[in-house]
Amino acid sequence: MTKEGVIEVRAPMVGTVADILVPPGAQVMENDELLILESMKMHIPIRTPRAGIVQEIRVSIGDTVQEDDLLVVLC
Amino acid sequence: MADKEELTDWQPEIEEIEQRRLFAAQMGGEEAVARHHTAGKLTVRERIERLVDPGSFHELGSLAGRSEERDGKLVSFRPANFVMGIGTIEGRRVVVGGEDFTVRGGAADAAVGGKWTFAERMADEWHLPIIRLIDGTGGSVRTLEQMGRTYIPDNPGVVTMAKLLGKIPVVSAIMGSAAGLPAAKAVLAHWTIMVKDTSQVFVAGPPVVRRGLGEEVTKEALGGYQLHAYKSGVVDNVAEDEEDCFRQIRRFLSYLSSNVWQAPPRAKPTDDPNRREEALLSIIPRNRRRPYDVRRLLDLIADRDSLFELSPHYGRSLVTDFARLNGYPVGMMANDPMHVGGALDAAASEKLMRFVDLCDTFHLPVVNLVDQPGFMVGTAAERQGTIRKGVRALCAIEESRVPWIAVIVRKCYGVAGGGHGRHGGLNLRYAWPSAEWGSLPVEGGVEAAYRREIEAAPDPDQKRRELEDKLNQLRSPFRTAEAFGVEEMIDPRDTRPLLCRFVEIAQELVRTELGPKWRFGMRP
Repeated sequence: MTKEGVIEVRAPMVGTVADILVPPGAQVMENDELLILESMKMHIPIRTPRAGIVQEIRVSIGDTVQEDDLLVVLC
Repeated sequence: MADKEELTDWQPEIEEIEQRRLFAAQMGGEEAVARHHTAGKLTVRERIERLVDPGSFHELGSLAGRSEERDGKLVSFRPANFVMGIGTIEGRRVVVGGEDFTVRGGAADAAVGGKWTFAERMADEWHLPIIRLIDGTGGSVRTLEQMGRTYIPDNPGVVTMAKLLGKIPVVSAIMGSAAGLPAAKAVLAHWTIMVKDTSQVFVAGPPVVRRGLGEEVTKEALGGYQLHAYKSGVVDNVAEDEEDCFRQIRRFLSYLSSNVWQAPPRAKPTDDPNRREEALLSIIPRNRRRPYDVRRLLDLIADRDSLFELSPHYGRSLVTDFARLNGYPVGMMANDPMHVGGALDAAASEKLMRFVDLCDTFHLPVVNLVDQPGFMVGTAAERQGTIRKGVRALCAIEESRVPWIAVIVRKCYGVAGGGHGRHGGLNLRYAWPSAEWGSLPVEGGVEAAYRREIEAAPDPDQKRRELEDKLNQLRSPFRTAEAFGVEEMIDPRDTRPLLCRFVEIAQELVRTELGPKWRFGMRP
């Protein structure tokens, strides 16, 4: 999801943040993995839809998230 | 023109028929048609033309409408705002009809009674598939003015439409704003598709919602594709535009026979049934927590380019496709570990039930590629009534009679896992070496069953690990195979050839079990 160059990566389903793979400021390419969401014992990689720079990571390891919760902001 | 006494044939009347047909072809007139086009929509006549095989449309009721005469001569004619008839799609006869939005917005007050219900009855009696191109808003208070009275609603056509679902393929394509009875027609189908951005479906539109609830909402937010194909499941598939809609309709119908008394049509086989894909050997990661691309897995097994996904955006933990194996149409389903680990939630349960009913009704053998961790847990899942909807889906499986085969590719746990096949039938299961199964996964089970021992141990974590390791050794699928608890374990690369063999066997069965779907009991 984007508005004016900002990319909001949201949780596609309910789960727990198992691992964060990029720090703020990291340069990422389209489809790179940003974090791992654990849902029903599976580790689901959450990827960025477009290349960009990680602005903000809105979650911490261990957080439980709901569907559509904002996880990472890139630009 | 000769005097009436000198006429010897009916040529004048033939000319009048043609004249009236020409008027009817103009629909709501140039201006109304232009407005319709500007809104990004095709007229109903253009839609029918593009959907059916060129030149195959034979119209019925072309002369229905309201005429204006002066001095005994026809001066204008407003056609009824529904166009219908028979055409062919890839050579097979179908009934097709749709509202003409250019005439009074397709509303009921400009309809001529009986026309659209006749189309439904034609499909019913002649056992032909029906495609509804819905573009009408339903009832209008203007009808009261015309009739000079009101009437008790009787949902005309609903009894026929309900019966049709057990006899012939029914497709509803939402091509404009559908409310009221047209909205009911939109869902009284085996498969509903809507066009992105130019179509909506709702019980009633924004004006009525404003009046009834004080809620301000746009047409799109109230009934657009983002709501109904993604969130509510009211609509199955979305078309990018009207051309894509017709393509998808033709594709959907190509897997089904014209009615339940015929076996599904085999396509010319173009893909080697013995093809063994190396990628299948490693597609399931050895790390049990890593997911994989289930659509890629289906793609490696089905005939190339034969997959057509139904309801891709709803109930996403279950993937349901029409596919072909050696040219024969089948219903293929699989669980998607990328979405809540593949767990069956309320939406996926509903999707499962509808898919099984559809395949059973039209005699499409079912191939179930199982990776099921169990029903979805948690308060959100409970609130959605997961257990009831899930069990309802299991009952649909038990009720089915269509040939069924399961290939357990990874997990098969719990009551949901128990829904891998029909226990009242043969229930043949193949397992990949990556398969794992049980009533409960070992991890949660140890915690529950050995709590006292773990708590009493000097090192609880170590005790728990010891118990888990011991039980994990029992988990090997080979042990289950020794007890004939699974019928065969296979090399994943052999999956396509064996499924193609199964489908050949299934064809003999299908031929002996044609006709309406058998029903039993009542679904909870």
